[in-house]
Amino acid sequence: MVFPRAKLLQQKREAAAALIDARALPEGGAWITAARMEARDRIAALGLPTKRDEYWKFTDPGSLTAAEAAPAPVFEIGDESAVFDGIDRVRLVFVDGVFDADASDAPELAGVEISLLEDAAGVDLHWARDLYGALEAEGQHPVARPLAAVNTAYATQGLLIRATGKAQKPVSLIYRRSAEDADVMLHHVIRVDSGAELTVLENGPAAARLNQVMEVDVADGGTLHHVRAQGRDHERRAAAHLFARLGAESVFKTFTLTANGAMVRNDCVVWLNGKGGVAHIAGVTVGEGAFHHDDTVFITHAAPGCESRQVFKKVLREGAVGVFQGKILVRQPAQLTDGYQISQALLMDEQAQFLAKPELEIYADDVKCSHGSTSGEIDPTSLFYLRSRGVPEDEAKMLLVLAFLAEALEEIEDPALAEDLRSRIEGWLKRHQR
Amino acid sequence: MAALDTTADVREGVDRETVETVRSMSGTYKHGWETDIEMEFAPKGLNEDIIRLISDKNGEPEWMLEWRLDAYRRWLTMEEPDWALLEIPPIPYQEQYYYAKPASMTEKPKSLDDVDPKLLETYEKLGIPLKEQMLLAGVEGAEVSNDRKVAVDAVFDSVSLGTTFKDELAKAGVIFCSISEAVQKYPELVKKYLGSVVPQNDNFFAALNSAVFSDGSFVYVPAGVRCPMELSTYFRINAENTGQFERTLIIAEKGAHVSYLEGCTAPKRDTHQLHAAVVEIVVLEDAEVKYSTVQNWYPGDEDGVGGIYNFVTKRADCREARAKVMWTQVETGSAITWKYPSCILRGDDTQGEFYSIAITNNHQQADTGTKMIHLGKNSKSRIVSKGISAGFAQNTYRGLVTMHPKATNSRNYTQCDSLLIGDRCGAHTVPYIEVKNASSRVEHEATTSKVDDDQLFYCRSRGMDEEEAVALVVNGFCREVLQELPMEFAMEAQALVAISLEGSVG
Amino acid sequence: MLEIKNLHAELEEDSDVKILRGVDLKVGAGEVHAIMGPNGSGKSTLSYVLSGRDGYEVTEGSATLEGHDLLDMEPEERAAAGLFLAFQYPVEIPGVGNMTFMRTALNAQRKARGQEELSAGDFLKIVRAKAKDLQIDADMLKRPVNTGFSGGEKKRNEILQMALLEPKMCVLDETDSGLDVDAMKLVSDGVNALRDAGRGFLVITHYQRLLNHIKPDVVHIMSEGRIIRTGGPELALEVEEQGYGHILEAV
Repeated sequence: MVFPRAKLLQQKREAAAALIDARALPEGGAWITAARMEARDRIAALGLPTKRDEYWKFTDPGSLTAAEAAPAPVFEIGDESAVFDGIDRVRLVFVDGVFDADASDAPELAGVEISLLEDAAGVDLHWARDLYGALEAEGQHPVARPLAAVNTAYATQGLLIRATGKAQKPVSLIYRRSAEDADVMLHHVIRVDSGAELTVLENGPAAARLNQVMEVDVADGGTLHHVRAQGRDHERRAAAHLFARLGAESVFKTFTLTANGAMVRNDCVVWLNGKGGVAHIAGVTVGEGAFHHDDTVFITHAAPGCESRQVFKKVLREGAVGVFQGKILVRQPAQLTDGYQISQALLMDEQAQFLAKPELEIYADDVKCSHGSTSGEIDPTSLFYLRSRGVPEDEAKMLLVLAFLAEALEEIEDPALAEDLRSRIEGWLKRHQR
Repeated sequence: MAALDTTADVREGVDRETVETVRSMSGTYKHGWETDIEMEFAPKGLNEDIIRLISDKNGEPEWMLEWRLDAYRRWLTMEEPDWALLEIPPIPYQEQYYYAKPASMTEKPKSLDDVDPKLLETYEKLGIPLKEQMLLAGVEGAEVSNDRKVAVDAVFDSVSLGTTFKDELAKAGVIFCSISEAVQKYPELVKKYLGSVVPQNDNFFAALNSAVFSDGSFVYVPAGVRCPMELSTYFRINAENTGQFERTLIIAEKGAHVSYLEGCTAPKRDTHQLHAAVVEIVVLEDAEVKYSTVQNWYPGDEDGVGGIYNFVTKRADCREARAKVMWTQVETGSAITWKYPSCILRGDDTQGEFYSIAITNNHQQADTGTKMIHLGKNSKSRIVSKGISAGFAQNTYRGLVTMHPKATNSRNYTQCDSLLIGDRCGAHTVPYIEVKNASSRVEHEATTSKVDDDQLFYCRSRGMDEEEAVALVVNGFCREVLQELPMEFAMEAQALVAISLEGSVG
Repeated sequence: MLEIKNLHAELEEDSDVKILRGVDLKVGAGEVHAIMGPNGSGKSTLSYVLSGRDGYEVTEGSATLEGHDLLDMEPEERAAAGLFLAFQYPVEIPGVGNMTFMRTALNAQRKARGQEELSAGDFLKIVRAKAKDLQIDADMLKRPVNTGFSGGEKKRNEILQMALLEPKMCVLDETDSGLDVDAMKLVSDGVNALRDAGRGFLVITHYQRLLNHIKPDVVHIMSEGRIIRTGGPELALEVEEQGYGHILEAV
């Protein structure tokens, strides 16, 4: 007889085979074709994810793996200013997943090399050759992430960004959408050389369905700040994987603000491979109604003396579902690890849900690791205290919600960026106040 | 009550005693001898005939046999769970004995006098827990120094040996007997409740147990009755290559109170032995059940040879309003532990508590924790877990807290602390949190750290050797759980903490 | 100023628990009244009901501030109307800066009264001046509301808010609890400085000692949800000397 586990794997592989049969590998040079073929083999072996996979326990990947993307109306921002509008930056624009040179600034910035994936794919000795698909492949263990392998195999668009020095302003990736059925794959590779510094911003509605992979390699002593705002278009679906490999004394800080979205899964996979590395992964989620948001983080401490922080805060209302799966894995050599993780949800009404799996897996003894997770409504005592001092209920709630989110926003290094996002959140809360 | 008033003093005394006990114990596993008595085995392996034989040996009615066979057929379609952080070598289910019983028990003893003296000797050797060998040997009325009576049922391999204090319990209306006796004497109760908390196909090991359980304890506390003494079952695996599959069923009717203690040991052997028990607890309106375990099965030797595989399903169902259940466990034994004593908080205002100490040393592995399923309004749960890992051991806390949409205004507080001793072991925390209503509050905190060098140094500078210091510091780390144990168990548990960690430093 | 008539209140969750059973009380402008009583007499509940805390159901009676029905208002409306409750246990609000908290409160009240909001600069000046009188240092103003404050710091912070918000009617709930002698003097001085002809005070306390510092005009004894005796300051001394039992028996 066929036992359930074998049967499940068989079904997953059949789904993968169907996907592989239906799509031809994109054309490209030798190195990218090799990477794509290897990724295709990974898909075949791993199968496509299903909600019966432990890693998709709280989120149904069905709409992300379906052959066709569900169309979603294009979100009109109206006369509001877009996120980061006030920030001096190099703007690089993708429309429906295709780079739009006319809408973009010239891709030039001192200390930074920027090229397009489609151009580099034909260049034999491009620096990204050793990274493209390599970190994604490494990220398939110990947990399989087949959607990222699908991306490596079939994505044709994306940016290859290499910081060789200290960049004077951020590189800003801006996504726009014109088609209701835009089904987009983007694959970015970022390399920060030893001692270099770079800030990368992302914002805007990318697609009705987006499958994005960002591979990040920060060399010894390098610094990368990544701040991303995932827009307000309600019915979009997205799976974004971020793989980051960090060298000694390097710093990687990433922050994601997600507002709404029918289905958003953000995977963040980080390896602290060199002594004294620092990784901070933070996020704020505000969601309402038919909203499902999943933050999944996997941090591996493989070297001694590294610090990792995960700070995730979610404000959920009217049936919104917030998921957090966060893991700190400390390998045996990673003595003197400092690992901290907090995930908290504020449930604004009876329909909202918070589902969490905060994990520690520790094989070194001289460590300081902790995690905390809480869920509940706004503290009625604090609310009453504020109101007794004359603050109206709505305003009091706003203050308390912003106070609840503050710890996550503090993870954004640049105060101007933090303030920009904070004011966006305030705006969202005002629009959604009951 | 004077006994309560002096608790604080006694606990201070316990600490001193721990240190002395550690000093006095030189061997590693204290209970690792085997009793040389004649055994009656069913043939090796598992099939429907074996199940018929077990059922026949127990003189069971037809419905019980059918229930077992049903479970067996379901088991055949199931897989061993693979999600725990455990490396479980393949288990040759067809190489095990599923039924073993001392030959002198072929005719059931009418009183303890009829029991093979070697068995009683076994209990004498077991020593500390609950002075139960005194009770078993001297039978009723044995003088117990602290005036506390504990009724004991002992299960030796597959067969229940005898229950003390039966008359006194009967006067209070409490039924405490072996499950095989209950199947015959109280079939309606067994039929009504068996499998109602842990269904036959709940999981692979529960299904196996449902098919082949040969004995275990049965407790029924009628409405409004506060059980006049603590009830205790003592489990021991003796025969080689024998699985032990006891089944415990506890029913607390409306307003009933009962405290139940469970102790376990097994001899040293270089092969692995399987222990797959099921415990079901039904708690009705306003009733309270406290279930305490000291699990000290043979853990295997320093190189990971031998030891018990302890795959246990324990669950309590707080079916009605204000029912309360409290699990306390001290898990120091077994080569592999897979165990999640859980609470279904079905009624409104129900309460579930789980206090756990899990210690793994050498090559032991433990994946243990609890589930708190909140279904009723205003239900409350509390989880305190202390995991200690030493040597090459792996120790995982795995837990689930779920707040269903209707479980409004419920609360959970979870605290999970892990301690690592040495740099070759692992400590892991895997909580699942599912909150589906806003008025409930869930708080989870976990920490992992190494044993504090400053504390160790402080102890040593006061004259303790390193192992004493570790035992003391670890006992301090476990304090919140130890104080939830009944007094006799607390003393044994403290001693066990120390013994389990022998050889972990230096 | 404050007029309470035949006020009855019970626990919202359990209507069998009747806490206030007909309280009558009138505090005029410029007066300081003290309410004393044994534990469980309903003193603190009275302060909660007046300020509009959830969990209590008013079943009968009225409470007005300058003729306005308090019981009909939201807590923030009561505050804007001039009622201030100094909490027995001031609430810690991590993440909200003390300054932000007070400025938001002050401006919300000003807005509700149709006054202009204060600029950050003007606000800062006022707070600093008032904080100095209460020996509240700059650090306490910067920290999150009451978070990590000592018992004395929390109570001083309450009085600072009182000084800043300039309410008409102040209710002090067990302000002396958890204070040492020095802190009590500091807090009392703060309160006394706010005494003026236009402002009423209701001081709730279990012990007489606070009343050595904040001298009341009228003392009420509360028991089982009612005011059972009213007198001058000498009544507090009687409690001090003879205990509540004696007074309760005499009624």
